[in-house]
Amino acid sequence: MRGTPFGPILALLALAGLVAGAGCGRKGGNDQASGQQEVTFWHFWRQEWITPLITEFERRNPDIHVVDEQLTWQAGQEKIQAAIAAGQAPDLCELGSTWLPRFAASGALMDVTPIADSLRGEIGHWEPAMQGGRVYGLPWVVGTRALFWNRALFRAAGLDTTRAPATWEELLQAATRLSARPGVKGFGLNAGERYVLFKKFMPFAWGNGGEILTPDGQRAAFDSPANAAALAFYVQLAKQSLIEKQDVIDRAFMDSQVGMMISGAWNLRVFAEQAPGLEFDVALIPRPAPKRGRHASFAGGEYLVVFARSQAVDAATRLARYLIGRDAAVALCRAARSVQPAAMGAEDDPYYRSQPKDRLFVEQLATAVAPPPHPRWGEMEEALDHEIEGALYGRKTPAAAVRDAGSAIDALLAEDRR
Amino acid sequence: MTSRAERRSGPLAYLILLPALVTMLYPLWLMFRLSVSGGEGGPLAHYAAVWREGLFGRYLVNSAVVALAVVLGNVLFAALAGHALARGRFRGRGLLLGAVLTTLMVPRQMLMIPLYLTVAKLGWVDTYAALIVPFLADGFNVFLMRQAFLGVPVELEDQARVDGAADLRIFYTVSLPLVKPALAVMTINTFLSSWNSFLYPLVLTTSDEMRTLPVGLALISQGEHSVDWGHLMAGSALAALPVIGVFLVFQRQIVRGIMAGAGR
Amino acid sequence: MKARSAFAFLTPFLAVFTLFSLLPLALSILLSFLDWSPLNPEQAGWVGFGHYARALHEPRFWGALRNTFFFVAGTIPLTTTLALGLALLVRLPLKLRTLFRAGFFVPSVVSMVVISLIWKHLYAPFGGMNALLGWLGIPPQRWLLDPELALPAVMAMDVWASVGYYMVLYLAGLETIPAELYEAASLDGAGFWARLRHITWPALKPMTLFILVVNTMRSFQIFVEVFVMTGGGPMHATETVVLYLYDAAFHQFRMGYASAVAYLLFAILAVFSLLELKWLRSEQRTLA
Repeated sequence: MRGTPFGPILALLALAGLVAGAGCGRKGGNDQASGQQEVTFWHFWRQEWITPLITEFERRNPDIHVVDEQLTWQAGQEKIQAAIAAGQAPDLCELGSTWLPRFAASGALMDVTPIADSLRGEIGHWEPAMQGGRVYGLPWVVGTRALFWNRALFRAAGLDTTRAPATWEELLQAATRLSARPGVKGFGLNAGERYVLFKKFMPFAWGNGGEILTPDGQRAAFDSPANAAALAFYVQLAKQSLIEKQDVIDRAFMDSQVGMMISGAWNLRVFAEQAPGLEFDVALIPRPAPKRGRHASFAGGEYLVVFARSQAVDAATRLARYLIGRDAAVALCRAARSVQPAAMGAEDDPYYRSQPKDRLFVEQLATAVAPPPHPRWGEMEEALDHEIEGALYGRKTPAAAVRDAGSAIDALLAEDRR
Repeated sequence: MTSRAERRSGPLAYLILLPALVTMLYPLWLMFRLSVSGGEGGPLAHYAAVWREGLFGRYLVNSAVVALAVVLGNVLFAALAGHALARGRFRGRGLLLGAVLTTLMVPRQMLMIPLYLTVAKLGWVDTYAALIVPFLADGFNVFLMRQAFLGVPVELEDQARVDGAADLRIFYTVSLPLVKPALAVMTINTFLSSWNSFLYPLVLTTSDEMRTLPVGLALISQGEHSVDWGHLMAGSALAALPVIGVFLVFQRQIVRGIMAGAGR
Repeated sequence: MKARSAFAFLTPFLAVFTLFSLLPLALSILLSFLDWSPLNPEQAGWVGFGHYARALHEPRFWGALRNTFFFVAGTIPLTTTLALGLALLVRLPLKLRTLFRAGFFVPSVVSMVVISLIWKHLYAPFGGMNALLGWLGIPPQRWLLDPELALPAVMAMDVWASVGYYMVLYLAGLETIPAELYEAASLDGAGFWARLRHITWPALKPMTLFILVVNTMRSFQIFVEVFVMTGGGPMHATETVVLYLYDAAFHQFRMGYASAVAYLLFAILAVFSLLELKWLRSEQRTLA
């Protein structure tokens, strides 16, 4: 018997056993009670925030069973695409406002215009979900960016602590004064980060009256004096800034090494958890001058979409309606604090009335601008990022950068028309 | 093998090796240091939070089961295939080798969607089968084993054949023992690659219960925008510890395995 | 070995390989000639070599290629030399030998995602790197935010992460050199460097070439490190070819184009690998 390969045979058997048993494993929940409609729902929230909402929904709708799955921000889009390609897309899915136009243009999403029409009075921020006059997504939550400022550092630098800088000049002055202290930078300027940089720069451009595309979305309108001036200001601000990725800036702000920054509402939760003693406040993003321009900011959001091939359209729509309703949306936003409900009237909710910082973000939303809902926005954004960084790193003048960005966007649009 | 020169070089060696060791280990020590900055909850607060947040035990089991199966399968499949590629005389041998090497040179990200399509058609999404079977045929391992078997003297095998042994028996009793170093390397390699794999398990599983460790941790740690270093590093440490532990425990055996093949 | 046995040996591997490697490979090659988006899986337009031509005219593709070449040329010689050096040193009869061996190997055990995160912290403004510079009296650097320093910074991390693994491979190789050769050489009066040049180095050629081939393939495809640490920035300074095609595929939804870029990379890599393999085969023949 010597020489008989017992070892390998045993191993092979073990392997075969594993593979045979490998048929086991959750196969997306086929455990429905009879008569129950199953709906698959993909989202990006933590389970502890979303599960209460789903439980409540199932309680109110005993004929529906929700199978939900949390996606990662790093690879969520890839996963959704792979699923669509394989015909395994979920019924209901959460999509970001900057991704939505591309999906909408592809025909993969169900046209929800009738539903939208019935909700116009209750929910706002429809623009990113619209393509060719039809609506393809239901607004769920929206987010914006505001100015964070460190009161303690302001006080130490002898600056006015009763209000934040409200104009570009005040912002620059404050940043310069703050930077005079060792180990402190006046401003945290975002760079080197895709999908984020434009959200931090464009508020200045939009606030100055600049645009990205013409109103008909056919040509670039980026090459303008307003945008060039905004970029010139941004480059000046950079001299008083810590130039880094957003998470590093958030951290530095928490450690009182940065006096001001433009960032999002998630920091309200994070600072409360990790830096409870931090003396900070939030304010609208400064406008160009006391009587000119607006306190513009970036507007983005999460939308609920139903995939066209779904077999559970009715259940999916009912779930969507529930989730975007004011009560559910506010509950979610209270937990996450990083976004605000797309449902109208949220600022009157007792929660927001009692939380002035959260309320400011709702206020900022009123003058926030969403990027153009163009299917090729991703590539346009890449061109913008590239040119803005070029100016930041001194490779070209703001005027040249703005001009080149405009040409790049025009080239993209021209390709589409061919 | 020690000469006077080598004995004298002892202190010089320490002069180079000690700083090198510090350089090698510092970043890992940093990870641990950051992970135990728990704050009020005590040094292990982050670990506790990470453990509580997800089905951590289940992720661990999944990773272990998958890694074990993939290693076993690879050792078997790759050794057999590598031997056939080294010794077998058949038409298309060169072509097959070329095909194997080709798959090594194509970025995995490109194969992700076609692979997902295949797995979905088989109905394997979110099962152990999806996490194990596609990874049993690793071109790198086959290539490694082929090189290793090429180093085994053909005469030994021919002699055994003359003595009347069948090919499988020759493989198991003569050739395989002589490539232990390569087997050891392949085992470590495959285990690590399986344990640390992220993108494919992410795409091939949909339910929390089927997730592997890296995927589970990524989901727990993702705060959308914020980076809680303590949290992130605790999660990373939890993912890295089992592997480091296994390696340290079996380090002697692994090295002995590598050395054993030397004494022919 | 009889052909029949060979096929039997190959069957398990072939079954899995065909279904899960060759088939996806064939599909993705096909994709490179099509205009295809995963959002519209039924619609596919034939573009022939259109994507390939487009890539070759794309400055961003050439930039990515340049970065990749720089990465490969900068890390491989360094990693290989350090790995060999460490292997030689670790073989000496030192008291802490096991500690060194284990310590050097440990980094390669940890997932690249985790390593990238740790090094991201090291390169942060408040991180260890700037602390080290401060101790040496050098002003702090922006590291990953500096278009000049970002790629070298990532390369340094990659060398750190992989040296230990190749060291172990070299250890395996060194073990197979018969001791008698060294003894004979010392009797002939050969010193340490002479033995290194005439015995160790030639005997290690197969292992060296194996390491080169494997490391080249891996390095040309580097992705996770840059994905986690820099996302390709600043200003595409760290954008490697695979990162570029990943962006095209999953963020621009241009799967066909991305496939074409992948196969252009493959063509380049194939040329390199063929050259290295030819050298390896001729070396083995001379040794035999």
